[in-house]
Amino acid sequence: MISTTGPAYSPPRRSAFDRYNPLRWIGELSETRYWMYLLLLPSALLICAVVIYPTLYGMQMSFHEMRLNRPGLGNGWVGLKHYQRMVTDPIFWVSLRNTAVWVTSAIALEFVVGLVAALALNRNLPGSKILAVLILLPYFLPNVVAGHMWALMLDPRLGVINDLLVKVGLLQGYKAWFADPTTAMAAAIVVEAWHSFPFFTLLLLAGLKGIPTDLYKAADIDGAGAFSQLRLITLPMLKTIIAAAVILRVIGLVNSPDLLLILTSGGPGRSTQVLSLYAFQTAYKDFNFGYAGALSVVMFVLLMVFAWAYVRLSKVNED
Amino acid sequence: MASTRSRSKLVWDIISYIVLIGLAFICIAPILWTFLTSLKVESDIVTRTMHYIPPSITFDNYVKLWNQSSYPTLVINSLIVTSTTVLICLLTGTVAAYAFSRFQFKGRTQLMLGYLVVRMFPAVLMIIPLFIVMRQVGLLDSTFGLAVAYTSFLLPLFVWMLKGFFDAAPKELESAARIDGTTRLGAMFMVVIPIARNGLLATCVFVAIAAWNEYLFALMLTTSTGSRTWPVGLQLMVGEFQLPWGMLAAGGMISILPVIVLFALVQRAMVAGLTAGAVKG
Repeated sequence: MISTTGPAYSPPRRSAFDRYNPLRWIGELSETRYWMYLLLLPSALLICAVVIYPTLYGMQMSFHEMRLNRPGLGNGWVGLKHYQRMVTDPIFWVSLRNTAVWVTSAIALEFVVGLVAALALNRNLPGSKILAVLILLPYFLPNVVAGHMWALMLDPRLGVINDLLVKVGLLQGYKAWFADPTTAMAAAIVVEAWHSFPFFTLLLLAGLKGIPTDLYKAADIDGAGAFSQLRLITLPMLKTIIAAAVILRVIGLVNSPDLLLILTSGGPGRSTQVLSLYAFQTAYKDFNFGYAGALSVVMFVLLMVFAWAYVRLSKVNED
Repeated sequence: MASTRSRSKLVWDIISYIVLIGLAFICIAPILWTFLTSLKVESDIVTRTMHYIPPSITFDNYVKLWNQSSYPTLVINSLIVTSTTVLICLLTGTVAAYAFSRFQFKGRTQLMLGYLVVRMFPAVLMIIPLFIVMRQVGLLDSTFGLAVAYTSFLLPLFVWMLKGFFDAAPKELESAARIDGTTRLGAMFMVVIPIARNGLLATCVFVAIAAWNEYLFALMLTTSTGSRTWPVGLQLMVGEFQLPWGMLAAGGMISILPVIVLFALVQRAMVAGLTAGAVKG
């Protein structure tokens, strides 16, 4: 660790040129004790400007009247008006329920598929390197393209998945997956799981590599089968990584309305309306920035409470 | 006993192959189908009988997309936004990652946690004020403004990922350079950053892919063809024409091609960096 100006460094004598050489000047600055703060300053300022300030501004907005399409109402302070409105807003409650369904089912599916893929990849069979690249690829594809690919495959008139299901005999005729309130959410969850399960594979695979093989050898000698090894060794050893992966996915899923915006825009009816999408549409369709801000604040608070409780719970379980 | 164990190993190997090949197929199939669709003539796409293999291959969709829509402009806009984002991250994030990796100082843990927590802030909550602020300072509907907005979620990611790579770089060479009288500045640029260049490249590629793919900020903060990026343009095509599936597929293929190439090139380092950051965080 190089942290103090030890005896290692003694400033060399300056020539006339060096005195005006900016590199030399910064070089000497780098030997002062404020150097690390100087290194952090640019990024910290930028984050304050584009994250902290807008977020605080947004929170403040949620206590004000702010409707771009009705400037006559002014920008006055309205206190908790927006929050009170939420309590009696049926769309808010539907969105909240849908968010819960969307997040839990998508993550459950992503976790199971991601774990299976990670376990299979971790056997290091010949060719698994190439298979790993193919399996991880969807995670890096854009939401817009992922959405359109699946919209094309699930299309009620020309969708290949409909055609295959009819040919196999699972379906009577072509189905409009995204137009039917009973299947729209499930179809969107499948698309989301396809897009993001590699995230779990990625993290779980890294975790699996860190488990000592001795544990499995010992279990083999004791005659433990594959499933009890999974339950008694693998999953407990992966606990921290699973917790981290789930938290990161929950944050991502709750915060970003992208995929649902592309696939369904919340419809049909309100069947795929989630909280982030509702806030987004309140802002950019109804131009009601104040209420949209309040919705996002509630979403943020719920997310924080969840993250805190989740971390606490997974810590308690460790003891 | 030994024979049953080796037989069960064989069984699990076979199961693993079936699972992996099946999953790889599921992952690739949508891309493959989109590619096939992009090569079909419109009448073969909208048809009563499904054509799994295009009866006739055409590049019309690509030609039409490139010549008759604003797609080329949008792709160039996306390139500008993406490179600007990477540049901002490089300039401000590299030194921050270095500081987190090499120095102990007051507030280090809290600051690092701060860089992690800002990723929790809802995009929707930030976009509204960003929209208002950017309009005030004249950055709304500009590629530079959009790139600045992207740093809100990509800069913290960049710093965390790069810090992992710096942590993994051996410290001995740096100490040697210091003993030879190099300044901290010199040690950072001449020793540490060159050692970690693969990690730096992987981090940049990851940020570049994320910026290239981004949709929501671009949708809100751009309003004209002058600064609009390709994801927004592709989405707008849905409304503009009567679902031109061939062109949509062609646009999708063009825009994911750079992602696939970049991912294939640096995936190993990128995967290592992503998991290192996440495992520690």
